Amino acid sequence: MALQQLKFEFKVNNPIEFSHEWRHHGVVGSGDLEILMEKKDLGGAVQVQVVTPVVGFDKVWGMVLEKIVKENRLGNISIEINDNNATPIVVSMRLRQALAEAAKDVRKEV
Amino acid sequence: MSVWNQLQKNSFLESSARQRANGIVDNGTFTELLGPRDRVSSPHLPVLGEAVAFDDGIVTGVGLIGKRPVFVISQEGRFIGGSVGEVGGGKMVATLKLAIGAYHQIKEKYPTSYQGRLPAVVISFETGGVRLHESNAGLLAHAEVMDQFQDARGKIPVISLIGSKIGCFGGMGFVGAATDLIIMSEQGRLGLTGPEVIEQEMGKDEFDASNKALVYRTTGGKHKYIMQDCNFLVEDSIEAFRTQLAEVLTLSMESIEEMRRVGSQKLVEEQLELVKLAVELDPRDSMDVWKYFGNESPAILPELSLTDFLKQAKRRVRKVEGGSVNG
Amino acid sequence: MDEVESMIGRGREAIDMIIDADSLQEGIIGEFQFDPELGPGAVVGTVTIGGQPATIIANDADEYNPRFPVVFAGVIGLEEGYKMALAVYRTITVDKEKPLDQKRALLLIVDTPGNGPGKIEEIMGMNKSTGGYQLALAEARKAGHPVIAIVIGRAISGAFLCHGLQADHILSLSKEFGTMIHVMPLTSISRITKLDIELLEDLSTKNPVFAAGVNFFYRLGGVNEVVDQVEGMRDAMIRHIDEVRELKRTGQFDKLGPWGRGTIGAERGGRQTRKMVIEKMTEEFDAVADKYLYA
Repeated sequence: MALQQLKFEFKVNNPIEFSHEWRHHGVVGSGDLEILMEKKDLGGAVQVQVVTPVVGFDKVWGMVLEKIVKENRLGNISIEINDNNATPIVVSMRLRQALAEAAKDVRKEV
Repeated sequence: MSVWNQLQKNSFLESSARQRANGIVDNGTFTELLGPRDRVSSPHLPVLGEAVAFDDGIVTGVGLIGKRPVFVISQEGRFIGGSVGEVGGGKMVATLKLAIGAYHQIKEKYPTSYQGRLPAVVISFETGGVRLHESNAGLLAHAEVMDQFQDARGKIPVISLIGSKIGCFGGMGFVGAATDLIIMSEQGRLGLTGPEVIEQEMGKDEFDASNKALVYRTTGGKHKYIMQDCNFLVEDSIEAFRTQLAEVLTLSMESIEEMRRVGSQKLVEEQLELVKLAVELDPRDSMDVWKYFGNESPAILPELSLTDFLKQAKRRVRKVEGGSVNG
Repeated sequence: MDEVESMIGRGREAIDMIIDADSLQEGIIGEFQFDPELGPGAVVGTVTIGGQPATIIANDADEYNPRFPVVFAGVIGLEEGYKMALAVYRTITVDKEKPLDQKRALLLIVDTPGNGPGKIEEIMGMNKSTGGYQLALAEARKAGHPVIAIVIGRAISGAFLCHGLQADHILSLSKEFGTMIHVMPLTSISRITKLDIELLEDLSTKNPVFAAGVNFFYRLGGVNEVVDQVEGMRDAMIRHIDEVRELKRTGQFDKLGPWGRGTIGAERGGRQTRKMVIEKMTEEFDAVADKYLYA
């Protein structure tokens, strides 16, 4: 019954450095999630931690996250997600939004 | 166009707590305190298997309007209905306490020229009150907020912004009513008992919660404006709320105190007159009260645009122009 | 402990057990006389306790309000909330000229199942009534009046917020008396949150932040002292009036009221996170304060 905590690690070749110290995106609404991204020296790797009430979708999370990491050549970044029953489509969409917003707004943190 | 400029045009109703917090103070001045990066989420939700949020559903921080530090509390209705638990309640209380502390510091630093620098507290409500998952802590936090309000009386304005989806109900309904001044949009709702609970307690004949028009007539912004239970009614945009807020902040603390509904003996006596009216009128609907206050065709009021409504609507005439502390 | 007789619904008897014999002047505070028709669900008046004058405010579960039918069995309705608030302001006025350590006490006898939910109440803005009463009590407390509440029966949710939780100190009869302190019954919580009732029942045996009842509230700091005999109520009230008066005389307001209960809650291990939240926010603000205070 307790919340699930899932951990993932990914690594891609020639990752692109994240241009912010940290960024936050989203709201933990029903069927939605929030994402906290933080620049971190991880030897080029990406660490993801997901906290979710949903049980048994570890594999799906892994696939969705890996796709996003590869697509965006992420590296040296820690990603933390608080999820409340988001579908894989919503997860991908929110991650893409978060990264796009971060790329667009490199001037200052909001 | 900067993020802040874009935010101004946003619907207040549709905006997240963080967008509202950023948008209602001057461009780029908002600093979040205990923001998501601090990762202080509720310690009581995981055991229930309930999702957590890094900000526990309440955004708190400080910004500027001109030279005035504006302490902001902004509730996120999408996270467990904006409910108040131990963390969120603590954030509200701490914000108020910091604002009162700032008042004393500023008065000391600028003994003769503090007027335009005094802090204010702004609460953007979106909540049904106590979070049932940690109900006792939530309840105790409500009492602490009220206690801080009384400390703030006559020193710094505490201003409510109500125009978000969940409205402002339950214990936070008292809290909203106890602030100095209330700014609402037509979409905002303020009350004690939410429509579903009234229906459940009283039966569908007394109150049909699925009747949206009835719900808005009973607790919505236009009704609250006619009743003088909100002071200002504005369009549904962050800019409209911010503009009204900035205007209000040019008023003296005395004028702001005069906008209160409760908080002194005179005000309680004035409210008791309204209770007498309730007995005399025995209204079946808010429209009966609107008519009593001089609105000949009350049924048209919900249909009017904000501009026309503000021109045409007749409000309750107040006998007491507010009341001083213990006046 | 043996079965004891519950005090639920017996607010008037509780008044008699607590105050000096036959000292209740109902509906009178100083020169002011309340309209006897107003807010029948609430008893207000002047009493003496230990020879000292005090204002009493209690729920009356035997009365119903003919004008507002949602008010019965101790419900605090529109009229009741304002009546109670008025009693507090009248008390402040009566002792206006008195020095801080001579302000009379306000005694709140708490046995209320809730606030009146109804359409007329919402149309008229019931939230002002209950909010107004809380502000009045906070003002009295800060003006120096010792405000002591005692839960003799039901202290439920919003009604406890307005009648009880603004006191300096809160006492409660022990759970053997069937006292109830909670926000909502578990069955309703389960329905609204869609959480499993078994899970909630389990939690309600151990988590003070969630569980109902006097003992858990005590651990959160929400109740200062548990009284285990009705005969003990009077002495406990007198003792707490004196304690609170002494703390105020020495300027220790921070130990009293809702803020003081926060501190006690942390000491008793019930509310740890609140303390951390307040400290951390203060620290973070201090780091940026200059930019905002001296802009």
